[in-house]
Parts: sequence; structure tokens; C-alpha cells
Amino acid sequence: MPAGDAFTPDQLYDIERAVRYAEDTSGLHFSVYVGGADSETRPFALELFNELDDPDSTVLVYVDPAGRRLEIVTGSLAKRQLTDTAAGLAALTMQTSFATGDLTGGLVTGVQQLGTHAHQPPLLHASDEQHKL
Amino acid sequence: MIPQLSGHSLLVFVGIPLLVVAVLALLVFASSIADGPRYRPGLSWWAPPVWINGPTATKPDPANLPELPELTGAPGATVTTGTAATGVARTTGGASASW
Repeated sequence: MPAGDAFTPDQLYDIERAVRYAEDTSGLHFSVYVGGADSETRPFALELFNELDDPDSTVLVYVDPAGRRLEIVTGSLAKRQLTDTAAGLAALTMQTSFATGDLTGGLVTGVQQLGTHAHQPPLLHASDEQHKL
Repeated sequence: MIPQLSGHSLLVFVGIPLLVVAVLALLVFASSIADGPRYRPGLSWWAPPVWINGPTATKPDPANLPELPELTGAPGATVTTGTAATGVARTTGGASASW
């Protein structure tokens, strides 16, 4: 691995695979940013979020390893599938791993958890007819 | 009386133990050497930012944009420049944590 990179190619592959899993499961877009913030973490995460292609349907996971901060930002459409409570649970999972120095494990587990929480089962009853009792 | 150690004895009693220790140390530290520097909470972060699944379209660098002709307005007119128009207010949700 080149000196100074945050992740090895294997670690990057694991994170990308978790992102793909979350996207396939939920139908939302997932983005992961790991790096320092120029300002406060939440406004900086929102700046990054607004740069994304389809922010309304996106979940951004922002990790500031130096500041030891984690932000999960969900767009207006994404938050219908992924509630703040579910995002908070995933944040707790990631927080536990990050505190032990396991950035990759925390991201993989957390992103997978976000995707699972945002999963919407297919409708079995597509008919608009009302059921009569 | 101190016995004289021959070269062969030195090799057996010093060289081989040193070799065993070196091999064991290599086995112990091999994984961390291969993984490179590890993140340790509380210490400084050394790596450049990584954005996985980031924006596909790269925005033009303002420094490389061609210069626009100077605006000429009516006397007394003011030209306001800023980034207010670029800021998009979105309804967002999510969560925060620190460790």
C-alpha cells in the first residue's frame, strides 16, 4: 500500500462492496467520505452532500478520523426509508468500531446496517381494491 | 576457567536462537507491516481524503474559468456577488456521533 493512504486496496474493496450491498438492498444511493473537515463537521458534511449527483435519494456517511466525528446525512427522499432512529443505531455501531481503531470494519458494518434498515420489502398486494371484511 | 567458544558453537548457541527470534518477530509483525499505518483514535490523521461513490461530474475549478466581461450597469447600480445562490437549502435527516 502506498504510504499515506487511508485504506489498502482490500479494505477499499470491502467498503465498496458494502456500499453496493446497501444500494442494492435499499434502492438508495450511498456515499462514504473519510477525511478532515475544513469547518464544523455537520456543515461540512452538508456541503459534501450538496455536491452529490442526486442528494435527495442519497445517504452520506462522513467520517472525520482526526476530529473523531461521524455524520450520517440522509436526503429528503432517503429519510422516508431511513429514519433518524435507524441512522442513529448504525452510527452507534460505527462509533464502537471506530473507537477501537477499526475504520474499515466500522464502515462496512455500518453501511450494511444502513442498507438493511432502509430496505423496503416488495409489495405483495399491488391491487388497489379494498379488502372487504 | 572460561571455555573457548568456537565458530561452530557460536553459530549453534547464538546464531540459531537469534534466527528463531527474528522469524517469530517477522511473523508477529507481518500483518501490521502489510496493512501499513493503522488508525489510532486521538492521534493525528495522516491520509488524504477518500470519497467512495462521490459525485461523478467534476465541477470546474473557478481559477481556470475564462474571465467574464466586466458588467456595466446604470449609474448607482450595484452588482452583488457571492455564494448565496449556490447554497441549496435541503431537508435532510441523519445522525451524528463522536468517539
